[in-house]
Amino acid sequence: MSRTAVFAREQLRAPLTLVLLVSVPALFVVAAADALSDFAGALGGDLAGDAAVALSAGWAAAFVSGSLGFFQAASSRGADRRLALAGLGPARVAVSRITASLLLATLASATAFATLIVKTDLAHPWHAAVAIWGFALLYLSIGVLVGSLVRAPLEGSLLVVFVFLLDAFAGPGMTESVPPWAISQKAADILIAAGLGASSPSGDWVKLALVTGGALLAALVVFVAAARSRA
Amino acid sequence: MAAAPSRATPDFVPATGSEVLRVADVTKSFHRGPPWRRRDVEVLRGASLRVGPGELVGLVGENGSGKSVLMKIIVGLLGRDGGSVERPDRLGYCPQVPLVWEKLTVGEHFELFATAYGMSAGAGRAAAESLMDELRFARYEHYRVEELSGGTQQKLNLGLALMHEPQLLLLDEPYAGFDWETYLRFWEMSETRRAQGMGILVVSHLLAERERLTRIYELRDGRCEVL
Repeated sequence: MSRTAVFAREQLRAPLTLVLLVSVPALFVVAAADALSDFAGALGGDLAGDAAVALSAGWAAAFVSGSLGFFQAASSRGADRRLALAGLGPARVAVSRITASLLLATLASATAFATLIVKTDLAHPWHAAVAIWGFALLYLSIGVLVGSLVRAPLEGSLLVVFVFLLDAFAGPGMTESVPPWAISQKAADILIAAGLGASSPSGDWVKLALVTGGALLAALVVFVAAARSRA
Repeated sequence: MAAAPSRATPDFVPATGSEVLRVADVTKSFHRGPPWRRRDVEVLRGASLRVGPGELVGLVGENGSGKSVLMKIIVGLLGRDGGSVERPDRLGYCPQVPLVWEKLTVGEHFELFATAYGMSAGAGRAAAESLMDELRFARYEHYRVEELSGGTQQKLNLGLALMHEPQLLLLDEPYAGFDWETYLRFWEMSETRRAQGMGILVVSHLLAERERLTRIYELRDGRCEVL
């Protein structure tokens, strides 16, 4: 069995992980759309209706993937470093660890997408699917990045949630003007457009691919650097 | 004193000749506290020791004397401020606290480390079975680490360090949690490996089996002294 499969199985052996991976995205999509609309109204945004439901699917995948990425990186840090030192090297451990997280984040994305499809009648379902996966990959990267640098569970998970909240409340549909640091901006634009029955310009797809790829690369680099760190 | 290792140069020089480990004048300080109230804690002030093939060497010292820090520097888990370390690439490291994955089984650990050591699946399997028999925990092969007692986790920790027959074995408080029978078996195993030419460094705050050791160093005030 490959290292990636062993690491993924390791995570799924936690009694609640699989249940949470499936239930949290579904519940979030069902319950959070109205709350997102209310917050948008208070913050000056215009998010409502199917656009809000679509965006909630992205945030659901983001939340679960960010938490997963953080705990995967933080909880296995010592043993992963020992394996790297035994001869595997930090890069190969990092790729296996992040790929294993990516598989589980894809499962969470699929659940969020399936719930979205059941709840709404989207004109561009595959646009929504890719954007939800983009959310998941972005936050998986953020989780891994934080987990590589901050080992304490409380501080690390609070940091991931803090980034999530800043990004969510400053993103498209939530405010009148979106700040440039809103990392999920293009994923949210594409999801909102899908919710409104519109397609997205190719520039948005390119930017989403660049931001997502850059985030994954940053997570990989920081994971490797932390595994090599001997301060 | 040797110059501080540069990030651009190799951290470790392969050990040659009559030694499998040569540690010379290693220094290490830690910086504690926020920048405006920073204090430096000097742990190692020129620690030197050596281990030859077939030698079983002890390193003792009070709690907090820097034994585990020196061990981590030798392994590569910590950087050093100065000095040099010559050691082989093929080394085994048994950390004080088992660095293992709670949700993986004993067998899965051996599989992962066999790959890391560059062993074939067959050789890894044979080594794992031999060690599990020797340490008497073969019946736990399919148990997850979280289901094992502290002593059995320590057996796995030791087994992972030994499975590739390293030239140098570094043991940091290796028998914590062992029962008396396993403790005695641990020393028998160490002597068997030593007779085969393996160099072994055992770190402990308390070494009761002094007659079994080739040499004992005491780490005091950041330096190693032969007892």
